[in-house]
Amino acid sequence: MSNKVNLTIDGVEIQAEPGSMIIQAAMDNEMYIPYLCYYPGMKPYGACRMCVVKAEAPTPDGGYRALPGSPASCTTPISEGMRVETNTGDLVGLRKGIMELLISEHPHGCLNCHRIELCGPTDVCLRHVSVNDRCVTCPKNERCELKDTVRYMEMELTTPLTYNNRHLPLEVKDPYWDMDMNLCIVCSRCVRACDEVRGDRAITLKDRSGRSIIGTAAGTSLLESGCEFCGACIDVCPTGAIVERDYKWDKAVQKISTTCPHCPVGCQLDLDVNKRNKVVRSIPNRQAEANMGMACFKGKFGLDFVNNKNRLKKPMVRKNSTLEEVTWPEALDFVASKLEHHKNGDYALIASARGTNEDNFAAQKFARRVMKSNNVNVSSNSRPKLVDSLQNLVGNDCASNKIWELLDSQVILLVSANITEEQNVASVPIKQAVAKGANLIVIDQRETELTRYATKWIRPLINSESVLIGGILRSIIDQSLEDHGFATEKCEGYDEFRNSLWDFDLVKVSAQTGISQEEIREMAQIFANAKASSILYGLETISDTHIDATVKSLVNLSLITGNLGKKSGGIYPLFSGANQQGSRDVGCVPNLLPGHRPAASPGIDLTEISEACHSGAIKALHLIGDELFHNTPDRSEFLDKIKATDLLIVHESFASEVTEIADVVLPSALFSEKTGTYTNMEGRIHRLRPAIGPIGDEDEDWRILSQVAARLGSDDMSYSSSDDVLTEITNEVESYKSLQIDSLSSRGHIRNPISTSSYVFSPIEFTQRDEVLVNDQYPMVLAPGRVLFDAARDASIVVENDLNTITRREIIEINEGDAKKAGISEGDVIKILGEEFELTGSAHLNGLHSGMVATTTLFGALIESLNSSSEPDPMAKIEGLRLCKVRIEKV
Amino acid sequence: MTADKDNLRTRIQQAIQSQKRPTVTVLSSLLAIQDSMGYIPEEAIEEVAVHSNTSINSVFGVASFYPNFRFTPPGEHSVEVCWGPTCHLKGATEILESVLGKLGLDSEGDTGDGKVSFRFNTCLGACSQAPVISVDHELYGNAKPDIVQNLLGSFYEKENLH
Repeated sequence: MSNKVNLTIDGVEIQAEPGSMIIQAAMDNEMYIPYLCYYPGMKPYGACRMCVVKAEAPTPDGGYRALPGSPASCTTPISEGMRVETNTGDLVGLRKGIMELLISEHPHGCLNCHRIELCGPTDVCLRHVSVNDRCVTCPKNERCELKDTVRYMEMELTTPLTYNNRHLPLEVKDPYWDMDMNLCIVCSRCVRACDEVRGDRAITLKDRSGRSIIGTAAGTSLLESGCEFCGACIDVCPTGAIVERDYKWDKAVQKISTTCPHCPVGCQLDLDVNKRNKVVRSIPNRQAEANMGMACFKGKFGLDFVNNKNRLKKPMVRKNSTLEEVTWPEALDFVASKLEHHKNGDYALIASARGTNEDNFAAQKFARRVMKSNNVNVSSNSRPKLVDSLQNLVGNDCASNKIWELLDSQVILLVSANITEEQNVASVPIKQAVAKGANLIVIDQRETELTRYATKWIRPLINSESVLIGGILRSIIDQSLEDHGFATEKCEGYDEFRNSLWDFDLVKVSAQTGISQEEIREMAQIFANAKASSILYGLETISDTHIDATVKSLVNLSLITGNLGKKSGGIYPLFSGANQQGSRDVGCVPNLLPGHRPAASPGIDLTEISEACHSGAIKALHLIGDELFHNTPDRSEFLDKIKATDLLIVHESFASEVTEIADVVLPSALFSEKTGTYTNMEGRIHRLRPAIGPIGDEDEDWRILSQVAARLGSDDMSYSSSDDVLTEITNEVESYKSLQIDSLSSRGHIRNPISTSSYVFSPIEFTQRDEVLVNDQYPMVLAPGRVLFDAARDASIVVENDLNTITRREIIEINEGDAKKAGISEGDVIKILGEEFELTGSAHLNGLHSGMVATTTLFGALIESLNSSSEPDPMAKIEGLRLCKVRIEKV
Repeated sequence: MTADKDNLRTRIQQAIQSQKRPTVTVLSSLLAIQDSMGYIPEEAIEEVAVHSNTSINSVFGVASFYPNFRFTPPGEHSVEVCWGPTCHLKGATEILESVLGKLGLDSEGDTGDGKVSFRFNTCLGACSQAPVISVDHELYGNAKPDIVQNLLGSFYEKENLH
């Protein structure tokens, strides 16, 4: 406690963190000073002057010196012995004066009216407040900070009820959000959230003095202003100026804190539930350590699927080739009677990436113990090699450090990951670190949002990443940049690894990767010279056969520079699937039993499932969720193959092409109806809490499986609640033993590492990159990119059906030599033809590797398509930016 | 159309790059563009954003703060009437009315034919000659309504001669 600062606020002696501002010190001690522009977590701004105080600081001679004037408490740092008054008559008068000025431009007839709780939009108003100016017609009514502040201050509002209506047009044509700048009090919280916190600067303070207002650059829509639709501006707005469009006027009767089901960051969201049992809003939790009050387009605007009416509500069984609704007992009896004949290893179960730890633990137990089959997997486990070696070499298969430690990393190496779309919130600390001066190195063939922030953007030849990292490792040794002490004392196998590097001659590496020796040396210097360097890898563009080698090289890179076990260093694997980590932990993967114990005879991989169904090796397929189908490139072929099974059981919430061919369809509860836990990419265990009640007869997957198990004569799967399952998990999974189930808050609980033995270097091989992607018909590889905006090129906004749409003439990057051969010159219109798509654009000749083409589309176009999609859950079905084989044609 | 736009972007880039000063800022770039082109086209906001490694919205925030930046092409001629205290006492109001009448305007702005951009000025720095007007950045002192009419009329006559 000794490093705290002592001060007095309104006669109360308090202690506060050194360096904090008066208002923060007051808040930390549960005292309130009115404020409107201040927002915890953002830099002090001092715009609204609501938080004015009188303050005195002690002088060396024992007296007190008053700080001049009435300083704003949000910009005045505390000092030892300071005395602060927050509510003197002068201050109250000053504040009221300021508030009167503020509300002279905001409808305020209702703000302090005593009838407000009773009033409706059509009531007769004794004050003659017109309907449009009433608080009851404002979407933010009852959650308005302006109103709360006015009422706290007991404003008399004897001023005339007229106000200066700005008569600005409403902006309601962009996806997902509505903006009514007539309600804005120009606190510029939204501008600061967009700039300081998110690093996007998609909105700004326009114009000056009395006319200044929030907006985008002249005449543009958010679609082309660089907005990532994270909703941070909405979350901080103190008035109704910026709001979510869907369920805009709906009031919450309940707030439920739960975990987002869209990606492995595991954002903690507070869901607003209205009286009709609908989730109307999602507001990220500021106390949560995984997301720190941040969300992304998926978590903010992509949860409406839980309200979709077209749910599967009753179990269905195929009778005489049509699916008929039956009761639960009938369906379960049917399933059990059929499964009875598949206990000989021809059964496979694929669990859902959105399944909770409890669901997926039950799933693997059901498959292994009841059905005697190791063919159990989770649909997001498409690239198990991404973490297998990580687990073996460093003793943990999730991120070694916390997401927000990235804030203080000096160097961040991002290898082939479209993190701003796939694990969005994890990119927020990266952007903030870059703003503070960190170096970001991006190794990726595709242009992604973070390449714009990168100090170095390296586009190596396809599948040469492991060799490139090997080159960096070699260069670190050559330049004696290694952390020799760490490598020899804390790690094993250093000498053997070092010897394996002699193959990595930089001349050879440079030829293999297409990256100059100079660049490799520079990357080695940047990475190794920093105090803390972290690595994030998604390896989304790397073929399966090269993933393991790349992971090993990256682990070596982290070890040789002594960055493991260090704050703000470490290594972060980036996978997809909200509970991929938890599924692995609880053994819902073919090669691992609960607690990461290797399975004696591993089951088959996801990629082999459809083929095994086709060949008859799998006769009963049990799918929880249809994600496997959606993640398969060739969906119709997949359907044809799984049709060959004798029994297809599907747990789903919505009808899809998979449920249409199923023999049994069991309605499954959504994340918003479940109790359970997810484990995020840091190994942090989060709670899911039911926000809305059941829509039909759907049930949680663990309970369905436990009931089938009972019917199959198994008595060790009888659970009465998901916490029963969790208790069993904590007993079986070593790294979950420290979990206190009852005290699991929105901060979550980080599970223990899998093993605590020392780190291990792994010798690496100089692998030849192979061109597996192309064939004669499609001889080139397309690297598709997507960015928020590109100021150097014109995009145009057209209004269609009252919605903004964005179009742009695309540019197709192509190697100069390739272009010459094909007779293409700069600016020619060319067409890219892939197996399932085509794209036209003008050619841009540059130094791209031969055999590759690249094109970058706008995120605005993706958001627009999501907004207009008729899928129940479009955000879960966004196709990643896969490299694909194409050919080009001149138009 | 695209060629025109490319041409416009090239001119903007030249304006940004030809600044001869030790520190190039968003503001200095905007000034350089306005000096060279007379206004800030939309593309200029984008080019300055690219050049300064910031977003178009931040650049627009700066540009829109200063009333001296204009976002539409100016008229061929500029006319400014001083309405500082001295000129006001010496009859600026009459001059103003006469100019506005001749140009067919109610206040500051451009004429419909794009020929003249008219602005008020709070002091042209020639109080001894009040009232003062500036036509194409040339000062005319002791202005009288009839002289003004002639001056402005000359814009149209010149064109007739060609």
